[in-house]
Amino acid sequence: MARFLVHRLFAAVLTIFVTTIAVSMLIHLVPGDPVQIMYAQSQGTTPEELDAVRERLGLDRPLVEQYISYLGRTLRGDLGVTIRGEQPVLELLLARLPNTLILAASALFIASIIGLSFGFVAAYKRGTWLDTTLMTTAILGVSMPHFWLGLILLFYFAVQLGWFPVAGSGFPNLVLPAMTLGLTNAAIIARLTRSSMIDIFDQDFVRTAHAKGLPKAVVLYRHALRAGLVPIVTMMGLQFTYMMGGAIVVENVFGWNGVGRMAIQAIFQRDYPLIQGFILMFAIVVVLVSIMMDVVYVLLDPRIRH
Amino acid sequence: MQERLKSAVNLATAASDVAPSRSALGRRTLALFSAVTANRGARVGLLLVLTLVIAAVFAPWIAPYGPSQMGAGMSLTPPSADHWFGTDEFGRDMFSRVVHGARLTIQVGLIAVGISLTVGTLTGLVAGYAGGWTERILMRLVDVVFSFTETLIALAAVAVLGPSLTNAMVAVGIAAIPFYARVAYSVTLVERNRAYFDAAYVAGAGHFRLVFIHLLPNILPPLIVVATLGVSSAVLAAAGLSFLGLGAQPPSPEWGAMLSAARDYFTQAPWIMIYPGLAIMVTVLAFNLLGDGIREALDPRQKARQ
Repeated sequence: MARFLVHRLFAAVLTIFVTTIAVSMLIHLVPGDPVQIMYAQSQGTTPEELDAVRERLGLDRPLVEQYISYLGRTLRGDLGVTIRGEQPVLELLLARLPNTLILAASALFIASIIGLSFGFVAAYKRGTWLDTTLMTTAILGVSMPHFWLGLILLFYFAVQLGWFPVAGSGFPNLVLPAMTLGLTNAAIIARLTRSSMIDIFDQDFVRTAHAKGLPKAVVLYRHALRAGLVPIVTMMGLQFTYMMGGAIVVENVFGWNGVGRMAIQAIFQRDYPLIQGFILMFAIVVVLVSIMMDVVYVLLDPRIRH
Repeated sequence: MQERLKSAVNLATAASDVAPSRSALGRRTLALFSAVTANRGARVGLLLVLTLVIAAVFAPWIAPYGPSQMGAGMSLTPPSADHWFGTDEFGRDMFSRVVHGARLTIQVGLIAVGISLTVGTLTGLVAGYAGGWTERILMRLVDVVFSFTETLIALAAVAVLGPSLTNAMVAVGIAAIPFYARVAYSVTLVERNRAYFDAAYVAGAGHFRLVFIHLLPNILPPLIVVATLGVSSAVLAAAGLSFLGLGAQPPSPEWGAMLSAARDYFTQAPWIMIYPGLAIMVTVLAFNLLGDGIREALDPRQKARQ
């Protein structure tokens, strides 16, 4: 078990390392002169000022030197300052990150509850009209674009019914974006749960439990569900990453003040330090979540524990 | 994604007994086609895909107005006999715009999937064939990139390339490369252990012959499934980028861009938001159904679960 976790930790460190290389070199992939592109939208920047920026970002130095100084700064927690407003990138991102995490976590909660129960029922009632109905709903959900569902919910619940505010960042504002993100992902979870549970229902230990004459509920919950949960829980980490990705789009539909919205604005403004900081932070969140999921996996699956 | 990866690997093992001769490949394709059309969902999917292709090819003849023709009707009129999907704020005919949008969507699907399929297949194939350090480095890199969501990779790519529909297609294509690489890699590992591969090797076939004449045709079937399903995620992702303003720009009749433009007026005129979104959903659904159908036809284990 220790070996498994050490191996995973090593993979995590490697992921972050590769990300820092990719992020620091990102700016050199930009076709044309990145500094000119960054400042194309601010009027009246003199060539001398542009040279000063080049100097500050160290873009004229050898690539290896640039990377080492980038890594050094990053390790000290200095992600640079934004092009527009010259604000510290790390502070800006950290101020918005909780909003995105709250959105992603609430969405995951909604998605799990709906997805697990739909998938479980569909697997149990395999081949019946209920299974067909649930799975038809699921494939429709999988095919639904987040941003469209978001607009529909916004139109119906915020504009027509007036139950929720149209935009903002308080709790009532959280409901619609979390539903948008949660419902589309619930469909994915439902499909996975169904196929995972069907595999379990067909296994010998479930049949044995039935044959022993155990009550149906005991077999379902104590035997089947517990075994079936292992692959599903490990999938949740990945689901959370999808939610983080989806949040980028959904935040923009609802004006939710998270890092995703900030990232899109940064891309529009060609604010590379902010974009670089965003990508690095996203990578770190993804890696942390996957490590957490590995620990949960070890705790859940006795085959790995020993 | 995980669900797809798992079944693609299943496929690789399931399709194992098939002889690699050319006439057999032809027979296989034919058998596959009839097996696919035996599936109800796949028939619906195929029909919808055909509709999309017809709409794209014959768009100028089907659409009563030009896609950017302003004042085709009054501004923001609800759906009627003259304007089936209503009109937008410039009085453009929504039906004509949605039909013309099919052309862009087909383009997105072909180009994005083309990029990820080609690069991903080559990466996985080379890694699986070469083994050793090449394999370790390539697949470790693929794993690292895979751990970020496609959304993030696509955003990073657009941040570098700048917003446009072409760049969005390229970005979405790049984002999915790791996924195709993983599938190609796992299938290659299975194929290179088969007798025909050993026979070709012993007969003195060179690297090029072994990889492109022997392995490539045999790893294609599972990749076809992945690519079919991949069209749906590519269309979703590209529409998402356009919705965020990072892909197609107005007045392009791209569906995501139309939804983005609809945000200003959809509270008064919901139809300008309903139809482009519906078009995206039906397209994604079509490829999902078709992909599921092909997968079930290729993988007997999946079929047994129905």
